[in-house]
Amino acid sequence: MEREGWRLSDKEWREWVEALLRAGKLVIAPVKENDLLLFRHVLMADEISVSDQGKAQWSPKEFLFPRSEPLLIYRLRGAEVDLEEPKADEREQVLVGLRPCDAAGLSRLDDIFLLEEQDPSYAQRKKHTTIVSLACDRAEPECFCTAVGGSPAGTQGSDLLLLPLDDGWILRVLTPKGKELVAGWAARWRPALAEDWDRTEERRSAVENSIQLSPLSAQWGTALEKSFGHPLWESLGQRCLGCGICAYVCPSCSCFDINDEGNSFCGTRCRSWDSCAFARFTLHASGHNPRPTQPSRYRQRVLHKFAYFPDQHEGRFMCVGCGRCLRLCPVGIDIHHTVERAASAASPEEERP
Amino acid sequence: MSENPYRPHLMRIVDAIEETGDVRTLRLKFLEPEIASQLHWQAGQFGQFSIFGSGESVFTIANAPSRGGYIECTFRQMGKVTSGLRNLSVGQVVGFRGPYGNHFPIEEWRGRDLLFVGGGIGMAALHAPLQFALDHRDEFGEIVVLNGARAVADMVYKEEMKEWERATGVRVVRTVDPGGETPDWNGEVGLIPDVFERLRPEPDGRIVITCGPPVMLRFMLMALEKLSFKSEQVITTLENKMKCGIGQCGRCNVGRYLLCRQGPVFTWAQLKELPSDY
Repeated sequence: MEREGWRLSDKEWREWVEALLRAGKLVIAPVKENDLLLFRHVLMADEISVSDQGKAQWSPKEFLFPRSEPLLIYRLRGAEVDLEEPKADEREQVLVGLRPCDAAGLSRLDDIFLLEEQDPSYAQRKKHTTIVSLACDRAEPECFCTAVGGSPAGTQGSDLLLLPLDDGWILRVLTPKGKELVAGWAARWRPALAEDWDRTEERRSAVENSIQLSPLSAQWGTALEKSFGHPLWESLGQRCLGCGICAYVCPSCSCFDINDEGNSFCGTRCRSWDSCAFARFTLHASGHNPRPTQPSRYRQRVLHKFAYFPDQHEGRFMCVGCGRCLRLCPVGIDIHHTVERAASAASPEEERP
Repeated sequence: MSENPYRPHLMRIVDAIEETGDVRTLRLKFLEPEIASQLHWQAGQFGQFSIFGSGESVFTIANAPSRGGYIECTFRQMGKVTSGLRNLSVGQVVGFRGPYGNHFPIEEWRGRDLLFVGGGIGMAALHAPLQFALDHRDEFGEIVVLNGARAVADMVYKEEMKEWERATGVRVVRTVDPGGETPDWNGEVGLIPDVFERLRPEPDGRIVITCGPPVMLRFMLMALEKLSFKSEQVITTLENKMKCGIGQCGRCNVGRYLLCRQGPVFTWAQLKELPSDY
């Protein structure tokens, strides 16, 4: 693959980010707050926390798909109704320092919000967003990107990628949009040399090799579907508290709710994040609930991500292996482990993963 | 026209029919007349109906496309949105977006006998295809409608049933659950699947279109099996919770399907392939 990139010092790429800020772009990047690494709007490039900090506490999906956002504003005048659409935010934003799993997560949101029917507010934000990812220097205990087709230096979903070296960085250009963001800078930067690229390759394979979890195969989708009625699901899901944290921290979870906030005179129709872990997610007004128990809801989460979604999206899992769901689950439910257990329980001995 | 798929068309309530104590049919007309001529739907498709301040709710479009120019929905007052809708009167404005989803394969039913089996508010989902069949009466064979309710007072489309019966070759069977009858009740008494069995319909050349609560559906499928109906002859429409209607909110996902796009209409044969998440 053609590799285009520059060899930069820490100071050099921060100068470039400073210039982006001065040009009026919004910059969102990981910032260390107390003990947590969080995506924040930054005002200075020096606030950005990189190198060996692991992944941020939350995924950055909320900057493209907010936790809650207005879809429509309504006002009633007697029997008549006025509708107004919220103004689209057209400011350019640059997301800096996403781990490759988080960037891959955003490309899953593209699958949901851009492929068949365009979601106007997501499409608008995406159009004005450039993504500068940051390759990983080490794997955290919960990481399993390599098990779901990702890589510590993966490029999916990114426009530019920062690759760490011992004494600096390579800024790799991946898309025309990324190239545009560095326009004018190329003249003052040094192109990365073959040995620099080699060093990054070595680092990538070292991190990859440190991830011990075995790859999950898209072919297991059928086995997982077969596992639907297996009693194992009761024990796999019985610890689940239904708190929904896994969906909130997941870079690819995109299920949402729509509700009217307001009264019968005026208000806003809002879209907010939702989770299939909640009993009310599928509860009918009649009282019937197609997924009445917590294990049945946990099973839906796993099958949606590893069987149904891949079936509709060329084998791509709706999981990027960031492991946040495991890291933040109050009862330590491990989705990778679940997939292996369920798929092998449903397959005959010789086909077992 | 707005590109925002969530912006509903505004519609005025022009008529309200009290079907039962808690079921009402509304007739809605578009405030922008040009929308009425642009909007095409097929029997079985649904819409998202907005009650501003209460939210949106999914109802099947109850009128057949052959009765166009307006939209009808039949709903039971149950939750927040349907209570909001129940509070509106003729002249007030609601929102509509759609049509969404697939539709009944009525083209494949030509020349066949049709048997509609509806339980409670489930009858609303059969209203559009039935109306279509009545409007194209000579294209179909015998039409039987089995309309069941818990009690006499809960029977929907009471007035319309008289009209259906007047058409040639149409038989309407009314039934209420045991204990739901009144002294002057002259219909059947029995659970819908039992009454269906008593009718002994010949499977040959017949299509069964059924909708009702999950428990009724389960026993209906057992009755159909007993009477040797093939799973391709039986068709239903699933009523999962939906929010977006355009395949994004994830709520109506059942197996490999999003019911708002690949559903809500399924044959029994297709249902057998689905996980039981409905």
